[in-house]
Amino acid sequence: MAVTLPTPNESEQVYRPPSRWEKLKERLEILTNSNIAIIGLFLVGFWLFVALFADNCIISPVQCLFSEDWEATPWIARYSPFETFRGENLKGPSSEHWLGTDRNGRDLWARLAYGARPVLTLAPASIFIALVIGGTLGVVSGYYGGLTDEIIMRALDALMAFPQILLYLVIIAALGPSALNIVLAITIAGVPGIARLVRGLTLDIKTRDYVAAAQTRGEHPMYVMAVEILPNASGPIIIDAMLRIGYAIFSIGTLGFLGLGLPPPSPDWGSMVSIGKSFIQAGHPWDSMWGSLAIASIVVGLNLLADGMNEQLNRYR
Amino acid sequence: MGTENNGRGEPVVSVQNLGIAYETRTGDVNAVKDVTFNIYRGETVGIVGESGCGKSTLAYGLVNYLGRNGKIAHGDITFQGSSLVGRTSEELRRLRGDRIAMVFQDPMTSLNPVLRIGEQMMEVLTVHKGISDKEAFDRCVEMLGQVNMPDPARVMERYPHQISGGQQQRVVVGMAMLNNPALLLMDEPTTALDVTVEAAVLDLVNVLRKEFDTAILLISHNMGIIARVSDRVGVMYAGELIEMADVHEIFKNPRHPYTQGLIRCLPKLGRGKAESVLYPIRGRVPDPKDLPPGCLFAPRCDYVRDACNETRPQLRDLSEGHVTRCIFSEDIVAEDWTPPPGLIPIFEEQTESDEMADTLLSINNLQTYYPHGNTFLGFGEREFVKAVDDVSFDVFKGKTLGVVGESGCGKSTLIKTIIGLEEKTGGDAVFNDTDIGNRVSRRDLTTIRELQMVFQNPDSTMNPSYSVGKQIERPLRRFKTVPQSEIRNEVIRLLRAVKLDEFYYDRLPRQLSGGEKQRVGIARALAGRPDLVLCDEPVSALDVSVQAAVINLLLEIQKEFGTTMIFIAHDLSVVRFFSDFIAVMYLGQIVEIGPADEIYKPPYHPYTEALLSAVPIPDPAVEQTKIRLEGSVPSPLNPPSGCRFHTRCPRRSLLPNNGAICEQEVPPWRDVGDGHRIFCHVPLEELRAMDPVVQAPEPVAAD
Repeated sequence: MAVTLPTPNESEQVYRPPSRWEKLKERLEILTNSNIAIIGLFLVGFWLFVALFADNCIISPVQCLFSEDWEATPWIARYSPFETFRGENLKGPSSEHWLGTDRNGRDLWARLAYGARPVLTLAPASIFIALVIGGTLGVVSGYYGGLTDEIIMRALDALMAFPQILLYLVIIAALGPSALNIVLAITIAGVPGIARLVRGLTLDIKTRDYVAAAQTRGEHPMYVMAVEILPNASGPIIIDAMLRIGYAIFSIGTLGFLGLGLPPPSPDWGSMVSIGKSFIQAGHPWDSMWGSLAIASIVVGLNLLADGMNEQLNRYR
Repeated sequence: MGTENNGRGEPVVSVQNLGIAYETRTGDVNAVKDVTFNIYRGETVGIVGESGCGKSTLAYGLVNYLGRNGKIAHGDITFQGSSLVGRTSEELRRLRGDRIAMVFQDPMTSLNPVLRIGEQMMEVLTVHKGISDKEAFDRCVEMLGQVNMPDPARVMERYPHQISGGQQQRVVVGMAMLNNPALLLMDEPTTALDVTVEAAVLDLVNVLRKEFDTAILLISHNMGIIARVSDRVGVMYAGELIEMADVHEIFKNPRHPYTQGLIRCLPKLGRGKAESVLYPIRGRVPDPKDLPPGCLFAPRCDYVRDACNETRPQLRDLSEGHVTRCIFSEDIVAEDWTPPPGLIPIFEEQTESDEMADTLLSINNLQTYYPHGNTFLGFGEREFVKAVDDVSFDVFKGKTLGVVGESGCGKSTLIKTIIGLEEKTGGDAVFNDTDIGNRVSRRDLTTIRELQMVFQNPDSTMNPSYSVGKQIERPLRRFKTVPQSEIRNEVIRLLRAVKLDEFYYDRLPRQLSGGEKQRVGIARALAGRPDLVLCDEPVSALDVSVQAAVINLLLEIQKEFGTTMIFIAHDLSVVRFFSDFIAVMYLGQIVEIGPADEIYKPPYHPYTEALLSAVPIPDPAVEQTKIRLEGSVPSPLNPPSGCRFHTRCPRRSLLPNNGAICEQEVPPWRDVGDGHRIFCHVPLEELRAMDPVVQAPEPVAAD
């Protein structure tokens, strides 16, 4: 029992402030400690990878996006999503076309890989904008309370009263289907929910003593909200945002399915499902199946990631 | 250990070498180790210790309520002759039956909010024992009477939220006693209650023990509570039982350094900072994953010798019924202890001449009302919670005003109004010739800087997102106390002032203990070099040893910087120790104010008298007059007419016509002299004639 151990003397322990790397490592541990989060990270990471390296665009993104002369060469997508193979239409998976071809003879794997791009840019972008607007409204509403709170929340309630899908249809139908309008529609639909969440968190955090301490220093309300309240609400907000990106991907898929997504011939998972569904009974389920699987896997991935992070955050508290 | 039997027959419960461990991902954590004790019929055993010492785990272990990851690692629990260890939960349930009952800290966790009190109490009898409704009802009413519940039949019809916290706890105790258990476990049963209510619940514990002959295990961190109700006391430290003896023996002749330290770091009621000093225990409770190899207390012990670090001491009999876990118990006598150098009273006895110091803060007829409820579109009369109503006092430069009172008496609202977090409704507040009747956002930077606050809750006083250094820096930048280039040095200087090392600069709040967080909170308040620091219960959430250190720190700071303080606390011993002047508040008003030592001896306001009678004193030899207040604090929405205390006042009978005047007229301020004023109808002569509430067994030498 009596093992010679150095007497712990906690107050004289040499303390070294954590380096930048250690801080980053600690953050990452939140993810890697949870099995669920790792599966989620893998699924989301897979689609990110595919989207990034579908072609060689990554070498020179600016030219790729804005130069007419530049033509990207497919990398992991293998073919261009627009390239049609004569006589190869409606084929099942083969060594030539891994996932098969669609009715126009285009490679399904290429369509799927390129289709990941709009999904993975539009959904996060719209949620980010919604986060900025909804977060601001929520924190202001929660911090000031009273009439301010009443006005903001009732206005958002009115917005929430519309069924989301109806809201999308109205906005897209009015403004026409384009990437920008999809972002706009998803942003508008996302703001009320985020504002509600942030308001709730603010109501809780503003009762903490450190907020009172800031107020007794005579800090400006902007300072209190931005420096004292929001950083402590960031955990739940980030997790909520992950889930919302998942829902936004669903929404983009839905819009594509309804023909309100990106205009053809752009590769789009939702329209793949929609167009492919007429060939399911003809023994060619591939278009619909790959499209659905892609949407499902990335949404499930984001959900798992959010769940895993939530679990870890709760453990920290 | 058979020596403690004293012919009381078989123990109700016998714990032998009990060890309880929690399984965690990094291996088992031993929360309780080698605990051995017996409890006999009609006996109350108190378990005391700081947080994290395994007290609650021990209680949960006895009822096998350890959660999924808890397990009994070794040892045995024998309850009425049969072992409780290693049995399935079904067997345990049968063995134990309804013979063990448990009372928790928060009564609302034990009561179902959607059921009437009667329904939940009767259920205990009708469901498990098949007693008829009628009979069960009568038994419950009888039981409520036994737990001193006023008007038991009516209470049966109420919902839990309709009765006060103290009454809720009495219902819980009553419910626990319905099955006439052999063993009653109480885990901090009064911690959530006010001191007057606490006193009533503790009286009840004593009654239960006598009337029902129940064995009671009472767990508390408060030495005063333990001293009042226990027959025998066990002291726990880091999961081990380190000393156990008769209650008088523990307090008079403690033989373990930790027990001695616990007693030494408590302020004695009636002693002030001028004549006594608190001796905190250095260091903190070791992490159960990283224990010292020898005696667990060795790193913090003043008597530590080489032998202490070699082997872990075992419990041993010291004398009849006195066990200890210290190798050198025979050598360490509490009276022979000499304080370490540097710990001497730092405040000189006040001389009469400096009584008339400058007034720093002057409050006149201050009122703070909160609007209550919603009116429909502004129609209808608005109701107000009169949180602070007509309060006047002066605070002198360099002095401390203590404010005491039960929860809801308005003491927090009072200081929130002074600091500008709430807006006053009426009256004046003048600080340093500046009017401070406005909100903090309308004050100029100098006034803001000179008024700072220390908060109650160590866990929320610091923003968890930023390092210690960043949080102390902010007021320095904002108030421009020091030039930009000096900020880091100033932070380190402040950290040193609150006895924290430089390396705390980069630490995050979650890496700090409660006491350390509270120190950072103090450093942050001091950063602007304020003239007046408002302390809202700064030590009430801390363990006693840490509490002593923080109080000493505040005193040193006051001495060094000449800071004026307003100190709120509900613990009368702490307030007395810390303050020069004390104001006693009841329902938004000050009922008595004066120099600290005057408050603690007659003449008293009847409310002060009741408070003093209720305060648990950590010395079983002290005699306290038993004055218990009836009912609960009335609603501040609609306070009683005349004297607000008349509904509960035990001294009304001193006045003609049983104090009819108390209901009709606002009492006069009776001036005792020396700034001591009492807000009461009872003439001074009669108040003077009252007996002191607290009687020490022998005259205290230092007074």
